[in-house]
Amino acid sequence: MPRLYRLQRAALCAAVFGIASFSTANAEEIIIGAATAQTGGLAPYDQPALAGLRMSLDELNAKGGLGGKYVVKLLIKDTRSDTAQTATVAQELIDAGAKIMITPCDADASISAGQLTQPAGIPTLTLCGSAPVLTDAVGDVMFGTYPADNVQATAVADFAVSEGKKKVFLLTSPDSTYTANLPEYFGKVFEKKGGAVVGRGTFSMGQPDFSAEITNIKGMADQPDLIMTAAYEPDFPAFIQQLRGAGVTVPVYGADAIGTPTIKALGKLVDGVVYTAAGYAEPGSKLEAFNAAFTKYAGHAPESTYEVNGYEIGLILDQAVKTAGSDDAKAIRDAIAGLKDFQGVTGKITYAGTNRMPLRAVALMRYEGGEGKHVKTLIPDAADVPAP
Amino acid sequence: MFAQQIINAISLGGVYALLALGLAIVFSIVGLINFAHGELMTLSGYALLAALVFGLPFPLAVLVAVSCGALAAVAMERIAFRPMRGASVTSLLLTSFAVSSLLKVVFQNGISARPQAVAMPGWMTGAFSFGDFTIGVGPSISIVVSALALILLETFLRRSVTGTAMRAAAEDFDVVRLMGIPASRIIATAFLLSGLLAGLAAMLWVAQRASVDPLMGFTPVLKAFIAAVVGGLGSLPGAVAGGFLLGIIEVLLQATLPAAIAPYRDAIVLSGVIAVLLLRPQGLIPAVRVQRS
Repeated sequence: MPRLYRLQRAALCAAVFGIASFSTANAEEIIIGAATAQTGGLAPYDQPALAGLRMSLDELNAKGGLGGKYVVKLLIKDTRSDTAQTATVAQELIDAGAKIMITPCDADASISAGQLTQPAGIPTLTLCGSAPVLTDAVGDVMFGTYPADNVQATAVADFAVSEGKKKVFLLTSPDSTYTANLPEYFGKVFEKKGGAVVGRGTFSMGQPDFSAEITNIKGMADQPDLIMTAAYEPDFPAFIQQLRGAGVTVPVYGADAIGTPTIKALGKLVDGVVYTAAGYAEPGSKLEAFNAAFTKYAGHAPESTYEVNGYEIGLILDQAVKTAGSDDAKAIRDAIAGLKDFQGVTGKITYAGTNRMPLRAVALMRYEGGEGKHVKTLIPDAADVPAP
Repeated sequence: MFAQQIINAISLGGVYALLALGLAIVFSIVGLINFAHGELMTLSGYALLAALVFGLPFPLAVLVAVSCGALAAVAMERIAFRPMRGASVTSLLLTSFAVSSLLKVVFQNGISARPQAVAMPGWMTGAFSFGDFTIGVGPSISIVVSALALILLETFLRRSVTGTAMRAAAEDFDVVRLMGIPASRIIATAFLLSGLLAGLAAMLWVAQRASVDPLMGFTPVLKAFIAAVVGGLGSLPGAVAGGFLLGIIEVLLQATLPAAIAPYRDAIVLSGVIAVLLLRPQGLIPAVRVQRS
């Protein structure tokens, strides 16, 4: 075929199929299925993370797709924050040809989707589900992306011990893996390092009233000098409003799920509350540059570090496809599992040698005067991290 | 500490009573359990937030929010329930579920799926000492507002012509209409009152929770429904009794159960409800004209 003729045909192709086919005349397509919550209780977490992922996939597609070769077609379906519905839409996405699956910010929903992707061998990444039991509950295709609960809890416990805290009250809820286990991980590390768990309380998620639990805390003979909980919105605002309303001034620490605009907007009420994040945007850092780019992309600043975490998922997939050299599911899975010191936006991410929950830094933050202030960023000692 | 828990229980029971009463007023007259009652609360919550964002002083914002709840209830009746008048209980029930789902999605997509923080004035998170125990300002306001609302409602139903007509309508609607009282007015008033109660309950609820979110109406309407059933469906004193009973049981169980059993609290409460209904199938204080669906 004469060269000129070929060029003409390519131009025609581009004209017919639009810009997308222009830069990727030879590219193949890879379908990524995103079974994520657009409505319901998980939506405030899934949506920011998904926005970050979309941004990175858009950028990668502009450069030819994953590994420069595979243009990503992202199919998104709403799970309505329902575990059973997550399985339904995951199946629909598999049927639509998804080669990679993205699941919600929650262990229970992610596990239900993983039950379907595991037999199919489809690499599956949770947006920000952080329960360390999540990956082993499914199998070798399931990857966490956010710092795991036990890692976060260890970071907060290390910090509490360094502050001289001695007695902690743990507030848990059996309604989700996150709210049930994270404070217990904290308790294990805290006790190992010389602290004591002086009391435990529970709540139901969505519970209207914390007054009974708070009165119990007030009535304790051995008063705690710290309350640790993994409650998040809308339970966390309710708890702290009623706690402070009852005149209890004991500090309250939590984890990543309270690093949100809603909690920040509580202002003075949450002064002193310590929480975690996947990173902190120091001046001149890559994360600061990301935040600026995201603001331009989405029209609003990132609400939390879930956006950058979603963005990093795109980078991880790109690297994995590059290493795999193909769109073969097994090869991509192996490539993710073998990642070591991968340079993300927030720092280095390692999967090699883990149970597919990444080793990565945890940023400790503290609310002061309605702002999240950076305390420090650390990678907890692996020997301190309690087993899942 | 026990006295403190009693105050907690009365405060929570008061909110449940207001909500259950809102459900019962409508049920006693049109035979509808309005499951969209919770969304009236959500709406009032967002109205409060909006009023505060627009810089209205707090008392005025509360007034705006409660009126919004009341007006929304009337609008809901006009748009969704009036065309269904005379339909079967099941159709009415499904309509109310539809309205509820629709509003939830509107809130989620129109406002935000994320809860919005509502900054309560500082004095509301305070507490004052009373002898050797402290009472939070929040629970105290809860108790006072619930009590006032119940007394005012009772006065309205006993002393005003519309109130009397409503009590009569709850017993025999057809006869009331034969007396020349327009049905639409009675029904609209019932919804107005239920919206007012939902608005008030929303204020107390938001004051305790410091945030509003699209799904916040679900739990309270469920609790209110349980309270109304325990009290005797369609009976106003029953709804109040059921609300207080539910609040007291919940708080006392939470306070006394050891941490290992505490997660089963709701199961224990609901078993208690079944036990009450086995002993008194019509509820604690049955309605004069018992309706069952």
